[in-house]
Amino acid sequence: MIRKCMTIALSAVMAMSLAACGGQPTTREDNGAPVAASSGGSSNKKRVDPYAGDPVKIAYIAHDIGTPNNQGWKEGIERECGSWSNIKIDSYGAEESAETQVQIMTDCINQGYNAIILQCSDGTALAPSVKQAEEAGIPVITVNLDCASSTVHSALVMAVDYDAGRMAADKMAEQMGESGEIAIIQGVPGLERTDNLEKGFRDTIAKYSNIKIVDAQSASFQKDTAMTVMNSFLQSYPDLKGVFAINDAMAEGAALAAQSANKKGQICIWGADGEKDALAMIESGDMAGTIYTNSWDEGSTAAKIALLMIGSEYDYTCLSSTPKVIMEPIVVTKENVGTISQEDRW
Amino acid sequence: MMKNINWSKYSKPIILAVFIIVLSILRPKAFLSLDNFSNVLWSVAVIGIMVSGSIFVYLVGGIDLSIATLCAFSAVVVVSITHLLGDTTAGVIVGVIAALIVGMIAGAVHGVVITTFKIPAFLVTFATQSIFLGLAMIFTNNKIISCTVPAFTAIGAFKILGFPLPVYFMAIIAVISWYVLSKTVYGRYVYAVGGNPEASEISGINVKLVTIVCYMISGLTTAIGGIVLASMTQQASSSTGAGYTNDVITAAVIGGVSLLGGEGTVSGAIFGAVLMGLLNNGLNLMSVPSTHAGLVKGLVIVVAVAFDALQHADQSRKKVKKVKKAAA
Repeated sequence: MIRKCMTIALSAVMAMSLAACGGQPTTREDNGAPVAASSGGSSNKKRVDPYAGDPVKIAYIAHDIGTPNNQGWKEGIERECGSWSNIKIDSYGAEESAETQVQIMTDCINQGYNAIILQCSDGTALAPSVKQAEEAGIPVITVNLDCASSTVHSALVMAVDYDAGRMAADKMAEQMGESGEIAIIQGVPGLERTDNLEKGFRDTIAKYSNIKIVDAQSASFQKDTAMTVMNSFLQSYPDLKGVFAINDAMAEGAALAAQSANKKGQICIWGADGEKDALAMIESGDMAGTIYTNSWDEGSTAAKIALLMIGSEYDYTCLSSTPKVIMEPIVVTKENVGTISQEDRW
Repeated sequence: MMKNINWSKYSKPIILAVFIIVLSILRPKAFLSLDNFSNVLWSVAVIGIMVSGSIFVYLVGGIDLSIATLCAFSAVVVVSITHLLGDTTAGVIVGVIAALIVGMIAGAVHGVVITTFKIPAFLVTFATQSIFLGLAMIFTNNKIISCTVPAFTAIGAFKILGFPLPVYFMAIIAVISWYVLSKTVYGRYVYAVGGNPEASEISGINVKLVTIVCYMISGLTTAIGGIVLASMTQQASSSTGAGYTNDVITAAVIGGVSLLGGEGTVSGAIFGAVLMGLLNNGLNLMSVPSTHAGLVKGLVIVVAVAFDALQHADQSRKKVKKVKKAAA
């Protein structure tokens, strides 16, 4: 109820701020240079060259700006653009609300950003905003979470999902001697990426006839909730040998619960992300492994594509489907965790 | 004889007993163990600590929407000060004291602004919620800071007689809060102010001071909750304690605390917290998939609260009858 009230209040504020800056963004055209319109693209595309000193504004819109992943992407984007003083990055957090993200998108379109990097928390809800931005000549690059696939936009940069589940399952099975009971700690159901991760994990574990998935419970991506869920797993399944958490924060919570129940290192606990704290827990033997993706690299890749799209004559009308960049996944266990240097730990 | 027993007094323990019996029958091995009870209490400890303090605010007819973010900010304060002082035990002590002071000051600010400018508590705490979140973000540079200093992690994990420290904190704070509310003059003032502020003012109670102290108590317990939560998860960030505002208010309301003021008890609020903890624990132990958990949870809460309310309605009906009889 309170959340609803806040959303309404926030929407009102947003509406007012929109009204205040409702003027159309001025379209800038280079003298003599061919504009996108003449090359068959949408006439709205602003042609600017970020590497020639033209002022460029990029918006980064996160679902929840406070998580390590989002911070990693943000820093990656800022590092990529840091050397160019003409490029300005603005970061927005949507406080975990898709509606807020839609509002911020509208706001950014009206303010005439040159590109938007978006962690699309709800594919269906945000698809119209993404379309609107692209139509206004603003390339949209989605990170990890994509909008509905029918909405073609400039690019999607993502960590592997289904395959990450598969890789974690295979390595876990190996560590468990291909037998025993496993429980899964889920995030929020309905997110494409994490659903795929879980599916990859389940499909692969199904190949090992002596491994049984005994339970799956949601801990809403939260570390403290995962501790409670893990405690109940430990109660219900005294023979539990493995736990796969859909993200690292929950795996860390599960590891703390195991530690508190004097079962440190006895249960094979896996996460997926590769954040700094999880790597430290793998080093200390609290966690068994994770699937590492370099979030800084992911953010900077998204920024590179954004700059490329801003400077090019092409736009979404040239594409029949959204092009993808998939980040390299690394299976991290105690044996190889040392190979990930401190500079790569986000 | 039976008719004279005041059942409404026992409705809450009865609900808990029914819960425990049902879960014991359904999951005897997993549910009926000291470890599991310890887990349930540990999982509601932070909510229990916070609701024991924020009940003062509800009793004077106020509300505190800033619980979650003040919790985050105090968690951030204790962890960053510990880091600043070189991750030492002394650093932890200074950090804890600083966080407690921050909590009390935040509460005092709430109280002063609300009573001086006569702004609704909803608006003031809605605004400060955003301020605390901002402060937590600035202090952490919007990152998670982890802290594994043994003296700090012990706060959330050290066990005495099978129960972790937060459970004892919850018990101690709840008892203090119960004592203050039911055995001291100040406690009676709190109920009076919540029940009828004008009458209290006329009868010579310093309504302003009573209210400010209520918000300070709420701020203090929120800070304690933040410290405990940070210690349990060994980290602090701007999202520490996300969702706790709702959980705390829900626990209080389930426990029969009126958000209009003047009505409610600490035992009721703790009952609300424990009921939610048992419910979550039960759903987990029964392996209810998360897609169904929300539905089951909602239904059970409605049934439990309806049962409790029915007993109380019964009680007041009897009272009315008695009065009518006496009048006749």
